[in-house]
Amino acid sequence: MNPDIPTTPDGYYLPQAWREIDTAFVHADGWPGNLIKLACTRGHQEHKLLRNTGIFLQDLSHKALQFSAAQLLQLIGNILKHPAGHELAFLLCNDLFTKSQTLENANNVHEFLELFTKDSYAISPLLSPHFHYEKERLVIYWQDNFGAASLMPFLLEMIFTALQIYTRRRAGYQLPWTYHVSHHKPAYIEQYQVHLGTQVLFNARSNAMSIARTELYRSWNPPGSATQIAQTFTIDTTHQKIIAPPMRGFLHEIYYYLKTNIHHNPHLEKTAQDFGMSSASLKRKLQKHNSSFQQQFDQARKHLALDWLSKEGITQEEVAQHLHFYDAANLRRAFKRWTGQLPGKL
Amino acid sequence: MLKLHQWKLLALGLIANILLSANFALGDTKRWDVINWLDVVSEGGATLLALVWLLLILHSRPAGRVTQWLSLGLSCIFLAGFQDWLDEFITFPEAALWDHWVESGLMPIGLALLTLGIYHWHQEQIAINEQLRKRERLFREHRGLDFITQLNGAAYLRKQLQQELATHYRNQSSLTLVFIDIDYFDDTNRRYGHQEGDRFLQALGEFILLNIRGNDLLCRYAGDRFALVLPNTGRLMTEALAAEITRAIRHFAFKSRMQGESIFHTASIGIALTDSHQQDTADSLIERATVALLHAKEKRKSVLDQVA
Repeated sequence: MNPDIPTTPDGYYLPQAWREIDTAFVHADGWPGNLIKLACTRGHQEHKLLRNTGIFLQDLSHKALQFSAAQLLQLIGNILKHPAGHELAFLLCNDLFTKSQTLENANNVHEFLELFTKDSYAISPLLSPHFHYEKERLVIYWQDNFGAASLMPFLLEMIFTALQIYTRRRAGYQLPWTYHVSHHKPAYIEQYQVHLGTQVLFNARSNAMSIARTELYRSWNPPGSATQIAQTFTIDTTHQKIIAPPMRGFLHEIYYYLKTNIHHNPHLEKTAQDFGMSSASLKRKLQKHNSSFQQQFDQARKHLALDWLSKEGITQEEVAQHLHFYDAANLRRAFKRWTGQLPGKL
Repeated sequence: MLKLHQWKLLALGLIANILLSANFALGDTKRWDVINWLDVVSEGGATLLALVWLLLILHSRPAGRVTQWLSLGLSCIFLAGFQDWLDEFITFPEAALWDHWVESGLMPIGLALLTLGIYHWHQEQIAINEQLRKRERLFREHRGLDFITQLNGAAYLRKQLQQELATHYRNQSSLTLVFIDIDYFDDTNRRYGHQEGDRFLQALGEFILLNIRGNDLLCRYAGDRFALVLPNTGRLMTEALAAEITRAIRHFAFKSRMQGESIFHTASIGIALTDSHQQDTADSLIERATVALLHAKEKRKSVLDQVA
C-alpha cells in the first residue's frame, strides 16, 4: 500500500516538494467549514472561535478558500477552550468523507484503505496513515504532519470516529477496530465509550488503530443503500484533485526522508543540504512545526526498530547496527526511552 | 439581559444626577483638610458595590415582579449611599433636612424592598426547582450543563452517583443506573444533518423526562446515550420502566424541519443495579451498565439490521 518511492539508483531518497504549516491547502468547504458551523450551533462564540486564525466568518462563503495547517490547529485550539469543545471531534465523522466519492467503490476494508491512502491528504490533511502488518493484525499508524503537539488527541478522535462510522455503515456491522493512543485517559472518557466503544488503549507506544487481517477481505454489501445518500452529495470535486497533488506535510517529508535514508546515517547538515537550506533554517523550520531534528530522527528510528524487531530472523545486534547504535545495549536503552518498554517484551 | 432593563437604569441615572445637582446647588463644598478620606473610601466602596449588585441582578434576570422588587430595593440603597458619600464633600446649612431624609429615609426603605424581593425570589426558586426536579438532584453545577438538551452531563452523573452510592450503602437501599442509547443515530445525523440530530436529541431529552418519575434523574451521558438514575428501584421495576421508555421512543414520531416527515428510532437499554455484596463505585456502575448495553445491542442486532 506504500506509494512509489522516488529514489536515485543507489537507493538514496531526495526530498520532494512539501507543504509547510502555513501553506494554505485545505478546502474550507469540507470538514473545516462544517467544524466551524457545528461549533456555532453548539454555542461557541464566533469571535472566540476564529480568534488568531486570520479567518473571518464572511470569508467562509468563498468556495475557493483554503486553510493552512496553522489556521486549522489554531481553530481546534480555540474550540478546545470551550468546556464542551472536545465533543466536536467525535461529531465530524460524516463530513470527512463527503468529498471523496471514489471511496464508495470500495468493496472491503483493504480496498477502502487503498483508496483512502490515495486521497488521504484531502480527507485527513493533518495526520497521515502508515500501514504495517504485525503478525495477524494490520496496524495503521497515524503520523503528525505539521506538529499538532497537544492537539493530537482531537485529530485522532476525529479520524478514528470517522473511520469507524464509515466502515460500519459500509460493512453493515461494527468492525472490531482496536485504538491505541499515546495520551492519557481523558476526563471526557464518556465520549470514547459512546463513539469509539471499549477497545481503546491509552498510554500506548504510538497512535494507531489495528484490526485482524481476516477482516480485511470480508466483502461489504453492495452500496445499494448508500446510493440514496450519495445523491445528496453530488458536488463535483474534480478540481480538488488537480490542485492538491500528493504532497507531504513538512514533518512527514522529513520523517520519510530520514526513514528511507537510514542506511546513510542522515545528520542535520546533510538533511539541510538535501532540503536546500542551511542548517539554521532547517532548525528554525522544525521549531516552527513544534519539533526538532533529534525528535524526528528518533521517531524514524523508533518506528524502524518496532518494525524490524517484530520480524523473525533479525537480531537486536543487527537492528542496532542498522540504526547506527554503538551496540544492542544502547539500542535497548533508547528503546526503553522511546516506548517505556524493553524490546524483548514486544 | 441589560437591554430589557434600560428604562430602569436610565431612571436611576437621572435621579442620581438630580441628586448631584441638588447637592451642588444647595450646599457648599468642604475644604480639602476637613474631608475624612477613610469615610470617602468606605462609603464610596459600599455604594459602588450596591451598584454592581444591581447591575448583576438586572443582567441575569428577565423582567418581572421579583426583579422589580430587587432592583427597586438596590436602587434605594444605592441612592442613600450616594447621598451619604456626597455628604463627605459637601456641607449643608443646619436648616436643610432633606439630605438627611434621602440618606436615612431611603436606606430602610431600600432594605425592606430588597428583603421582600429576596423572599419572592426564594418562592420563585422553589417553583423552578420543581421544574428542574428530574434534571438535577442534591446539588447544582451549571458548568456541566449540556448545551443541546439542557441536561447535566457525564461529569455530573459521576459525581451524583458517588454521592448517592455513599448514602445508599449507609441506608442499605438500592440504586439503579440505566443507559438509553439510540440505535443507528449517526444515520439520522448523516441523512438530515447535525442540526436535525441535535433537535432530535433535545426533543428526546424532554420526551424521556415525561416518561420518568419525580425522583428519577436524567442526564445526557454523551452523544446519543442518556443516563437514568433510579433510586430505590428493584430489578423488576427497572425493567418495567425501561420497557416503557423503549416503547415510548419507538412510537415517538419526530418530524424533520424541512420536509416534516416522521423519523422513527429505536433504543437499546443497559441496566446496572448496585451490588449488595461488594461496594460499587460510580465508575464500576457505569462500566456494568455499558457492558449490559453492548450485550443488548449485540442481541438485538439481527432484529435491528432487518429494520434498517
